[in-house]
Amino acid sequence: MKNLIDLKRLSLYALKFDLKMKLTAYLFIISLFQIQASTYSQNTKISIQMEDVTIERVLREIESKTEFKILYNDNQVDYKKKVSVNFKKERLSIILDKLFLKTPVVYEVLDKQIVLVLDSNKNKQTIAKKAIEQQTVSGIVTDEASLPIPGANIIVKGTTNGVVTDFDGNYSISVSSEDVLSVSYIGYATKKVTVGNQTTINIQLQPDVEQLDDIVVIGYGTSKKSDLTGAVSQVSAKSFEDQPVTRVEEALQGRASGVTVAKGGAPGAGYKVRIRGVNSVTGNNDPLVVVDGVFGGDLRTLNPNDIQSIEVLKDASALAIYGSRGSNGVILVSTKKGSGKAKVTLDHFVTVSELAKEIPTISSAEFARAKNASLIAGGSPARYSNSQIAALQNNPYDYQDMLFQTGIGNNTQLSVSGGDDKIRYFASGNYTNQQGTVITTKYERFSLRSNVSAKITDKLNIGLNMYGSRETQINNPDNFNRFKGSVILKALTWDPTLPVQDENGAYLTRANIANNGFNPIATLIRSNRERSADRFDANIDLGYKFTDNFKYQLIVGVGTINQNVESFIREDNASDANANHTTIDFSNGRTTNHQVSNILNWNKSFDKHNLDVTGVYEFQGSRFLNNGYLTAGTNTLNFYTSDNEDLSREDFSNGGSQSAITSYLGRVQYNFDNSLYLTGSIRVDESSRFSKENRTGYFPSAALAYSFNKLKFIEDNNVLNNLKIRAGWGQVGNQNINASARFDRTSPDGRTVFDGENVLVGLVDSQEGNPDLTWETTSQLNAGLDVGFLNGRINTSLDYFHKTTEDLLLRTVLPGTTINQFQNVGEVVNKGIDFSLSGSIIENDNFTWDATFTLSHIDNEVTKLTEGRDQILGSVNSIDGTDNPLNVIRKGESLGAFLGATYLGTWKTGETFPAGVQAGDAKYVVDEDGNNVLGVIGNGMPTLTWGFNTTFTYKNWLLNAFVNAATGFDVYNQLAGAINGGTGDYRDDLSLINAGQWTPQNQTESPRRNAPNNLLSSRYIEDGSFIRLSNLKIGYTFDDLVKGINSLQVYASGQNLFLITDYSGYDPEVSSTPVNSDLNNTDAGVGIDLGAYPNPRSFTLGVKIDF
Amino acid sequence: MKKYRKIFKNKNFMVILAITMSSILLFNSCADLDPDPVEFDLPPGTYGSVSELDNAIIGVYGQLTNAAKWTTFHAPSWAGDDITTHAESNKADFREFDQRNVAVTNGRLLSNWDAIFNIVNTANSILVRSEGLIGLGVDPEKVNRLIGEVYFLRGLAFFHAARVHGKIPLPLTRLPDPNIGLSEVVDVFAQIESDFLEAELRLPDVYPGIMPGAVRPNKGSAKSLLSRLYMHWAGFPLKDASKYASAANKAKEVIDNSGTYNFGLVEDLEDLWKLENRFNDESVFTMSYCGDCGFDTANLKNSILGLPGDFDGWQETFAEIRFFEDFPAGARKEATYRTDLDWQNFTDQKNPVFKKVTGPAGDLPAGAFMTGRSDFYMRYAEVLLIYAEASGRSGSVTPEAWDALNMIRRRAAGLPYATPDAGADLTTGDIAELAFEERKWEFAGEYLRWFDLVRMERVDQALTRRDDSGVLNESNTIIGSLGTDNYFSPIPAAVIEANPNLGN
Repeated sequence: MKNLIDLKRLSLYALKFDLKMKLTAYLFIISLFQIQASTYSQNTKISIQMEDVTIERVLREIESKTEFKILYNDNQVDYKKKVSVNFKKERLSIILDKLFLKTPVVYEVLDKQIVLVLDSNKNKQTIAKKAIEQQTVSGIVTDEASLPIPGANIIVKGTTNGVVTDFDGNYSISVSSEDVLSVSYIGYATKKVTVGNQTTINIQLQPDVEQLDDIVVIGYGTSKKSDLTGAVSQVSAKSFEDQPVTRVEEALQGRASGVTVAKGGAPGAGYKVRIRGVNSVTGNNDPLVVVDGVFGGDLRTLNPNDIQSIEVLKDASALAIYGSRGSNGVILVSTKKGSGKAKVTLDHFVTVSELAKEIPTISSAEFARAKNASLIAGGSPARYSNSQIAALQNNPYDYQDMLFQTGIGNNTQLSVSGGDDKIRYFASGNYTNQQGTVITTKYERFSLRSNVSAKITDKLNIGLNMYGSRETQINNPDNFNRFKGSVILKALTWDPTLPVQDENGAYLTRANIANNGFNPIATLIRSNRERSADRFDANIDLGYKFTDNFKYQLIVGVGTINQNVESFIREDNASDANANHTTIDFSNGRTTNHQVSNILNWNKSFDKHNLDVTGVYEFQGSRFLNNGYLTAGTNTLNFYTSDNEDLSREDFSNGGSQSAITSYLGRVQYNFDNSLYLTGSIRVDESSRFSKENRTGYFPSAALAYSFNKLKFIEDNNVLNNLKIRAGWGQVGNQNINASARFDRTSPDGRTVFDGENVLVGLVDSQEGNPDLTWETTSQLNAGLDVGFLNGRINTSLDYFHKTTEDLLLRTVLPGTTINQFQNVGEVVNKGIDFSLSGSIIENDNFTWDATFTLSHIDNEVTKLTEGRDQILGSVNSIDGTDNPLNVIRKGESLGAFLGATYLGTWKTGETFPAGVQAGDAKYVVDEDGNNVLGVIGNGMPTLTWGFNTTFTYKNWLLNAFVNAATGFDVYNQLAGAINGGTGDYRDDLSLINAGQWTPQNQTESPRRNAPNNLLSSRYIEDGSFIRLSNLKIGYTFDDLVKGINSLQVYASGQNLFLITDYSGYDPEVSSTPVNSDLNNTDAGVGIDLGAYPNPRSFTLGVKIDF
Repeated sequence: MKKYRKIFKNKNFMVILAITMSSILLFNSCADLDPDPVEFDLPPGTYGSVSELDNAIIGVYGQLTNAAKWTTFHAPSWAGDDITTHAESNKADFREFDQRNVAVTNGRLLSNWDAIFNIVNTANSILVRSEGLIGLGVDPEKVNRLIGEVYFLRGLAFFHAARVHGKIPLPLTRLPDPNIGLSEVVDVFAQIESDFLEAELRLPDVYPGIMPGAVRPNKGSAKSLLSRLYMHWAGFPLKDASKYASAANKAKEVIDNSGTYNFGLVEDLEDLWKLENRFNDESVFTMSYCGDCGFDTANLKNSILGLPGDFDGWQETFAEIRFFEDFPAGARKEATYRTDLDWQNFTDQKNPVFKKVTGPAGDLPAGAFMTGRSDFYMRYAEVLLIYAEASGRSGSVTPEAWDALNMIRRRAAGLPYATPDAGADLTTGDIAELAFEERKWEFAGEYLRWFDLVRMERVDQALTRRDDSGVLNESNTIIGSLGTDNYFSPIPAAVIEANPNLGN
């Protein structure tokens, strides 16, 4: 009886000081490097001989003889106690054991730190041992590979009596024969053993499938993957570190289902990332990027090497906590934290890029002959003499050849990381430079990151993350004059009989035939447009644990982006009579952001009920200021002499905007017995973008999941071991519009001269305010299924979603005006399926084969427009000079609908022609007045995308391949139309002379040469479906090549190695940004090729070294 | 070690936490949900001062300059028998007019439509916003004058569009009704008349402090345009013959007060097209440009736009061959065409060249396309000829009417216009037809001829004559109908797409 009471009291006392919880907590975190650390300490043997000295002296001696640092609390350890020691080449663990024998001091090794802590248990155990005559049981705890597990917990079931295994996995504990030992370690299934008569009990632990679950970042917290109720795709660093990735967006492509990534071909160009289709017609469907809890990250400027994991939140139950900013999906980026022994990684690769495909056009001599023929047929003299044609035959001008080059790129990244229980650090640097495949185009990026976190006390954590980047982009063709087509389109339609320079070296900037624009090669060679952006982000992350169940986290983030454009674009010659196409543009923009998030979290388990409650109060603000200087028609030869001393030709501008959001959020997560999961959340946002009456938005969500894993049919099943169903509903918003969208605006656009000399600038209305403006709301229903087979070796997920986006925000032009207004105009529905299947198909000692397949299907439809409207004309205008829209937002169609005439082939001899038409001309569907009927003639939005990523390793060899594909969409090939000539600035036909063209003898459906041409017709709609080998890599890792190098991998890879498509242009995946990019309505208008920068084919050689 | 233990023990941490929490509340003021919008260029609901109104009116002029600086502004005039364009090249939009085969997708038509309704919308916005100025105690005369200008510009914009399309919408509210329909031509003309009458009422006799030639309109400018309006009202399609008397009356008012309005004829017609004379009394409303101030404010219609490829010209505006050959020889023909050029032997397209477009040889910089040449939107010569023609058609011919006609004839012959000359003067015959014929030659290449042919329903006659072979054939043959069914241009397809109520 007495003993029992004693034990009870002991246990109460013990709870207070019990190390177990603390150990569990940090072992959980450090389990990754535990083995590394113990290896070192295990092997460290030292000799010490000291007489009658304090413990403190002994510890200092150990410090001086080893790399260890010993930490202790002087109130807990009696370091003044005198001892004598005499060890010869003894293991450190044994020395410390002996030193603290019969004291309540235990130690723990964290990498190169030894922490001494008071463990009352240790003391009491001795007492308990004396109290009850017990047997001592010892043994070794090992993992599935029979390797010792240090730090495993061994507890006598039903008591608080327990020990922790030492560095070699050994333990020793006093028990009685009826006791049951419970042996546990993070990531392993807990094992229970009845002691009986045994004195040696060796225990082998098996990995726990469920516990091995990844931790998933879900926004304002984390969750175990198995606990998720929503649709979240995770991309961990591991899945893309096999590929030479310079852009974070590339890491997402094909690896996260439901995410589509459309690359831009220009070095440093923006990639378009879309999550579960496109809801919004405002042009901004960019997902919200949250880096380490701070809003407003830019994937382009991030160093992929810094990334630990990327989580893509897809369904409303996951997104609703981001409220008015979540409707385009959220990408959560977590950057790396160091841990363990200092680790240095160096990665360098060189990339050679080239044009993957040439578009065939007529040769110089053929063009000259064809031109002569058409002139003579029209009664005019020939333009080219026979000798000129002969000269062109021998020395053709191939503008496509002149435009494209082989681009070399370099990428170097270096990172250093490490950490222990107290301090963790990760520092990295990255330098990337890329030459584009179009001459003079370049991109360069430097970045530096420092992530440091410190555990100040058991309760208080502080982290500081800093990231700085500088990017410089030279001559992005999108920033050149594209009024009638990009430089790429110009090169393909340029007069092939005209050299770039005449015999005196003067640039021939204009041609009288073929393309009426400026010589694209002369323009690129003589221009220099440099956009550079410096970005600095810093955030402090402070965590305080009031109790183990109640935590507070404060995230304070500040960011600054300074962007500078120095642009000198020279299209004409200074000697031209009205040299007005040499422009100098100097502009600066500065964006500052701040964010403060306060997060309170409380979680508790009651028996089988687990509850987790989160509350957030958060506010953010952003301010943008810009100024610029512009002068046109300057005669100077370079940028820095831009003052042309003529104020009337110089423009100065200043502007800016400001916005803010205040938010409150509550989330409750509950699960019963790890089987039934419920999540509910609500976020309240107040946004400055809307007037007071429409400012506050409520974004609720609810989700439910049920895991069958505890049911007998799964527990007993050797094949199927995870089955979970999920369903959720929620609402999110989109407020991605200009900060001043609700206000009236004027712009200083009206210029006139009353006296013939002095320019007066008047104000004209440019935007009509809309006080009724409110965010668009997306309601999303999601149902999903997760299935795991063969101990988690094969996992599959299937999600169905139905998203309805109402109150679509649109920057529209008021009918009958050129005044903009932001309006809530209608409704878009996205329905679809996300599917992923991943598996470790083969797992041998020497050979492994992993593969992941993701697939997304999306059906997009505009279901409503505001009353009285059936359609809204799109903002991608034709390049033939007519400014007619190429796309349309129309009820019943997808957002990617193309507008144009329907092409019916050719007019044949003998038919009754309408006025102005002859046999061999193109025929279109017309109305009763003979006018072309404009209708929806195609859709640029893929309905199905998939990706397949597979990795084989054989011994030290690695082979990785990544294939991605998109089907079910069209491309509006304006480039092909322009090459055919006969419209706008494209006066001559540069397509190949071929037998398929209409002639009186052979009346085909392809119009005659030099027929009038209409670019806005279904003649230029092509199927865009493609399958692309995005990446193929072979690598070899050297193990013990050089001392001091842990591993060295060399690899070779190719990107975009082959493309299977029927598309006749460069690449079906690139779509041009609209020329009038101020409307930037880039999604309603996807798939339009106005001469977009093609995706290069590239080859990479690299080396990656771990020290 | 000691340090953090202390913090922990002394519970200083709680203090830090408290500070943090309170600083969060301080920070909260940074999340300003009502930023000051006026910090960035936002307009007031109503004007608070005359200078705001002034600024806004300069904005309308800016829109007019932006529209009128391009040949696009006059593209429909390529339909006349006086102007043609290159047979190939990127001139398809002009060719469609020239060949009477205008597509609903014609880009020039669309640009013009947008440009004209920009002017209308801004004018409407000003009229609404300026209401707040009344009673503010600001200079009422100046406000009145400025408002008069707005009416003038709106009337001009409506008129410019109505001549091309016939039926147009008439938005008069600050923002147009998105579902607005087309108004009947009679209502359109009534609105234009009303705008010009408002302008006439409010504008001064001479706009203070401006260059000669009414760079900003005066009473006389409004009257002159009214007389032009009445000529069209009396002709096709409304054919309200009573308006000839109105036209004659308005023209007469201008003639009688020409001294008050500073209007008159220049002595030598050739001088009119010289850069140095870009501001002159003959223009009753001038659009002014600056050739050296860049793209935005330069005139982009002249010089190399009228030259053939042989001179590195852009061959946009050529003269028709038949018209050139029929043109009576004399000083006016010399002032109208570059007779020094051997157009029949050009290697590129063979058409005569307008001096009115290229300027007299050597007057404009070689190869220039941006010039400071003014547009004489309406010349005093037209007021005189309207008076002569309208007098005839309204049956109230006076000696002043004959004198008006004869002044133009004398100058055309290279004689002093004010001195009667028996060799040039006419005193008998059908003065209306004589004046109509005189207009043909006097305003050749000034984008007026097509609209004269329309109002008199003489398109068929004139364009059939155009295609009578001269020394050489015209390049751009007529494709479309020459009947009244094809007089007006269609409403652009994109406009109808945006608002089906504007369907043709």
